[in-house]
Amino acid sequence: MYAVLPVLEKFLLENIYKLAALPKLALITCLLLILFACKGEIPPLERKDHPLPQDAEVSESEPGLYGGILVTAESQQPRTFNPLVAEDAYSSQAIGRFLNGLTSYHPLKEEVVPELARSWEISSDHKSITMHLRRGVLWSDGEPFTAADVIFTFKALFDERYPNRYQGQYIIAGKPIGFEKLDRHTVRFTTARPYSPFLYVIGFIGILPRHKLVDAYEQGTLLQEWSVRTAMHESGELVGTGPFSVHSFRPGQRIIFEPNPHYWRVDSRGQRLPYVDYLITRFVQDRNTATVLFASGQIDAADIAPGDVVGVSRNAPLHGFTVHHRGPATGIRFLWFNQKPGVNEDGRPYVEPHKLEWFTNKYFRQAILHGFNREGLIQSVYFGRAELLHSIISPANQRWHNPEVPKYPYDPRRAIELLEEQGFEFREGGQLYDKHGNPVIFDVYASEGDDITPQIMSTFRENMRDLGIRVRVRYLDFGTLVARISRHFEYEAAMMGFTGGADPSGGRAIYLSSGRLHLWNPEQEEPQTEWEANVDELVYASEEIFDLEERVDYVHRMQEIFSEQLPLLYLLTPHAYAGLKDKWRNVRIPAMGSVIWNIDELYLDREH
Amino acid sequence: MLAFIIRRILSAVPLLFGISVLVFILMAVAPGDFLDVARSQEDIPAEYIERMEQEFALGEPWHTRYFIWVGNVVQGNLGESWIYRVPVTELLWQRIPATLVLSALSILFALCLAIPLGVLAAIYKDSIFDRISSMFAYAALSIPEFFLALLAVMFAAQTGLFPTGGLSSVEHEFMSFWGRMADYAHHLVLPTIVLGMGSVASYMRIMRANFLDYVRSDFVTTARAKGVPEGRIMFLHVLRNAINPLVSGSGFILATLLSGSILVENVMNYPGLGQLIFEALMRQDEFVVVAAVLMGCVMLMLGNLIADLLLAWSDPRIRLEKN
Amino acid sequence: MIKHLFKEISRRPLGVVCLTILGILYICTIFSQFLAPYLPTDQDLNNAYHPPTRILMVDWRPHVQVYEQVDPSAARYEPVEGATVPVSFFASGAEYRLWGVIPADIRLFQVEETHRLYLLGSDGTGRDVFSRLLYGAQVSLSIGFIGICITMTLGFIVGGVAGYFGGRVDFAAMRMVEFIIAVPSLYLLIALRGALAEYFEPEQMYLVIVIILSLIGWAGAARIIRGMALSLRQRHFVLAAEVMGQSSFKILFKHFLPNLASYLLVAATLSIPAYILAEAALSFLGLGIQEPGTSWGLMLQQAQELKVFTLNLWWLLLPGAAIFVTVITFNVLGDVLRDIVDPRQQMVKR
Repeated sequence: MYAVLPVLEKFLLENIYKLAALPKLALITCLLLILFACKGEIPPLERKDHPLPQDAEVSESEPGLYGGILVTAESQQPRTFNPLVAEDAYSSQAIGRFLNGLTSYHPLKEEVVPELARSWEISSDHKSITMHLRRGVLWSDGEPFTAADVIFTFKALFDERYPNRYQGQYIIAGKPIGFEKLDRHTVRFTTARPYSPFLYVIGFIGILPRHKLVDAYEQGTLLQEWSVRTAMHESGELVGTGPFSVHSFRPGQRIIFEPNPHYWRVDSRGQRLPYVDYLITRFVQDRNTATVLFASGQIDAADIAPGDVVGVSRNAPLHGFTVHHRGPATGIRFLWFNQKPGVNEDGRPYVEPHKLEWFTNKYFRQAILHGFNREGLIQSVYFGRAELLHSIISPANQRWHNPEVPKYPYDPRRAIELLEEQGFEFREGGQLYDKHGNPVIFDVYASEGDDITPQIMSTFRENMRDLGIRVRVRYLDFGTLVARISRHFEYEAAMMGFTGGADPSGGRAIYLSSGRLHLWNPEQEEPQTEWEANVDELVYASEEIFDLEERVDYVHRMQEIFSEQLPLLYLLTPHAYAGLKDKWRNVRIPAMGSVIWNIDELYLDREH
Repeated sequence: MLAFIIRRILSAVPLLFGISVLVFILMAVAPGDFLDVARSQEDIPAEYIERMEQEFALGEPWHTRYFIWVGNVVQGNLGESWIYRVPVTELLWQRIPATLVLSALSILFALCLAIPLGVLAAIYKDSIFDRISSMFAYAALSIPEFFLALLAVMFAAQTGLFPTGGLSSVEHEFMSFWGRMADYAHHLVLPTIVLGMGSVASYMRIMRANFLDYVRSDFVTTARAKGVPEGRIMFLHVLRNAINPLVSGSGFILATLLSGSILVENVMNYPGLGQLIFEALMRQDEFVVVAAVLMGCVMLMLGNLIADLLLAWSDPRIRLEKN
Repeated sequence: MIKHLFKEISRRPLGVVCLTILGILYICTIFSQFLAPYLPTDQDLNNAYHPPTRILMVDWRPHVQVYEQVDPSAARYEPVEGATVPVSFFASGAEYRLWGVIPADIRLFQVEETHRLYLLGSDGTGRDVFSRLLYGAQVSLSIGFIGICITMTLGFIVGGVAGYFGGRVDFAAMRMVEFIIAVPSLYLLIALRGALAEYFEPEQMYLVIVIILSLIGWAGAARIIRGMALSLRQRHFVLAAEVMGQSSFKILFKHFLPNLASYLLVAATLSIPAYILAEAALSFLGLGIQEPGTSWGLMLQQAQELKVFTLNLWWLLLPGAAIFVTVITFNVLGDVLRDIVDPRQQMVKR
């Protein structure tokens, strides 16, 4: 230390009067750095000319030119690249870039389309499905893709050593689905009973390369394979059939995908897709920052919140993008009352009996929804960019959503009428009492950490005060809330949301009275009410019907029952907005799902 | 000296154990667990959740998990992250360099700015410069850090002079070595300033106060009486003494090197430890949290130890054994 | 001593300015229910993100300009030409309880109910930012006081006892202090808050947060006080008191406390800003005060969204300015106090 000090002293003595220039010096250094860091250009990708597979799929979209880099942002990074480990949407999305399923869901056609399976036949009893795989498809490392890979994937999926989230989805009527290899390119699946969502759910699992993973599978270490570590240090190990391969992954920063040189889709000119040279996904935790990035032209695509649409659109001419209106969002958001009868381990009732009496009364629930000024919330908090939600399936899901269900617009008079019909009465101070003389007070639990929830809950509280009902809102962190509603059942009311999928079979856990997320009274051994029994029947029946129209009809009837009984008080659904740069062609924005779902077909307009 | 160091390290062991127990208890007391996110997804089957509960021993009381953990630690294994299914040490290593660089730079920035400013403010006490710099110091101390970060992001987006957060640009992988370095440097400017701003103010105040203290001291008067030139007095005698507390304080700085700033990292999207730890904390990824907490403690203790050693070294009046 | 302090402060212009600012802030806070035209929870969903209303003088009486919404999707309001509403002073309106006890219904100023007076604009559900700022001050300005009361008391007791008795007591106390300092405070905070959140209503979270913050904060104070107590211990008057057989308790409070008072005062003034900033940071992470409660930190968190910057909703950032002014004032005042009680600047422990 003291060896340094004399030198320092000397320096200081000689430069005493220059000290004041230090900030200036720093500034100059900064400016130099900025000059230094003038944007490095990514060189165009050199594509290798591999022969096209025999069963290549020809894209229906307009053919384009190679080149371009598409940058997107996600709020979280993938946690794993192993589909058997993945639980969250961010990992699944990254995995979906390099792995294919047998089938996939086309968000515009709203139907299941072939992916690795070229075509399929369903037997007359609807219990066995024969899938013909695409011939000539190669894995990204050049090995051939065959039925052995499919069999390997399903064997791993049902292996006792490897618990995973898909297992339960492929257990139909209590039995795992059967799968057998008929020949090198044919696989037959069998189900214990006819199951119409089969083609939809079979596409969930990405088919794994047997030649890469069979050793780990034998050794029992399959779940340790393909972690973030693999993506960081040996991204070449992540072998797939999808449009992209992982080029590089930097935790907390970004993942870069490059085109898979063996991808099986081509355009009408015989050019192998995808067109883009690189697909880059940046991880941007803060939603505001992501929007700022898009508005300043640094990323190509982003979801825009309703409140930010006007502000972001102002930059559109400057950076050449458009904010597309996608209509209602896919998720549903609701508030519900705990209707679970019975007592907990300590012998205390889950819900106080007199409150349970209100909560199980559908007119009480309807009155509450009538008394909630959701329209006002849309007007204020959402800047008019949202709509009321009336059904358990979001209007975004046009195929299954039933627009003709009972509705409960803001109507405090009707609310009071309903309450008075049920024996509730107002006493001094405007407080509402039930017919036994109990004041109407309840607690609502909500999850903290999103900016809209407090505004919704504060409005609800104010609206209920106008009805003479005292509502106490308590904010819990998400984990606590989930523990309360799904394990301890000690709550009176709560607010939550679900993301919603394309096929109603994804909502079984909510609809069925035996379901884990049948929130108001989950995991019933026998349906407790008549209408719940009806719903159960409709759900089971709809899953055995292969005629689409007929199945839609069943799902519509189910929604009517839910909206009439109102176990969930639907709130509202914000409109979804997607910003996308104008320089991309072949953009077709669906009502649901990712904006760049057809990323392999997007190409750069040279004029931009 | 060696005995002192050994004693200090030995006395740290029970502390670390105490803290690890405390962390496990706190995690158990905090409601909910790691699997709650899975529980709330409509399409994750109940059987899978049960399997995971068994695998992570989440149904068991906390001490069962604690002993599993201690067993692992004895074998030199800090456990695996439940979120990432990757060894905890590896996960932490992914983030340590970024945090280390940022902390070191911001401290350096703070010292480089604070020492001259503090000295000048002390020399020209009560001048306009002193007033302005002290106003600046008050202002820097009074702006919430996260708000400053937010303003920095807005500034970057508006002017385009600096990148809006992150540690490297999307072209990074395709750059030459020097291009990469410049890219890093460009990204580090704003976070360094945001993180260093608060310390600039406090170091500056310390520096100014110390400096004034020594200016009034006897040896300066003596030197003046002997006719030593004023510049020499100021920079040879006063500065040297005034800088001492900052030098010995640098041990304490070590403790903060790896703490990472959750707020700034989140707003500025900086891929450091803070982000990772906050996620682990919110998701209750127990082994990651424990490892991160213990790492912080070890750094703190090492920092204190080094601070004491530096102090003893720079000020012979202090004897370690008596401490 | 207090008298002496006041005299000293009044001789320094900076001190006077600080005291005046703080005085105004605290008086506003104490009378916030009287000063605020609305309750902090009063919504008006038709007037969300309303800009600050213009005040005009009509016939020598202040009137409020009436606005109409022209574009709800961008929260744009235009003044209606010629339409104004008079402001009434000291008129009665909705009832409230002053300080939670005295029933009252008179407010300093308000307008008739069909219109709204937004001195500083409105937030996303049409609540008056001015009223919320006043009510929020109750939390933000008291959190520091309650916090330092707890930390200083605990710090004095633990530090004083450790320093006075020394030996094993000192050893045990210092290990405890080390332990608390070693536990990263944010983890402790998040875990404790998570554990306690379900037992408290949002309005009570305020207390939970102060208590957690001060339970973390006392250790540092205890360490410094212990050091000072160690040196006091050797002073003649303490030894004399001991010889005279005074009880330890009496010595602690009669001899230690007055001698440490000036330090405690300065340290307290300088640590109040830390509480205010901590509350803001916690609220930013979503871990602070909760709706429908209000605090400056919570309001700032609600205003840090992009739309505030893009839709020119700048007035929503005012809580940030309020925090800034308060913190700066406390810091300056703390330094002035330190100059007075410790001109040699021996407590540069910051």
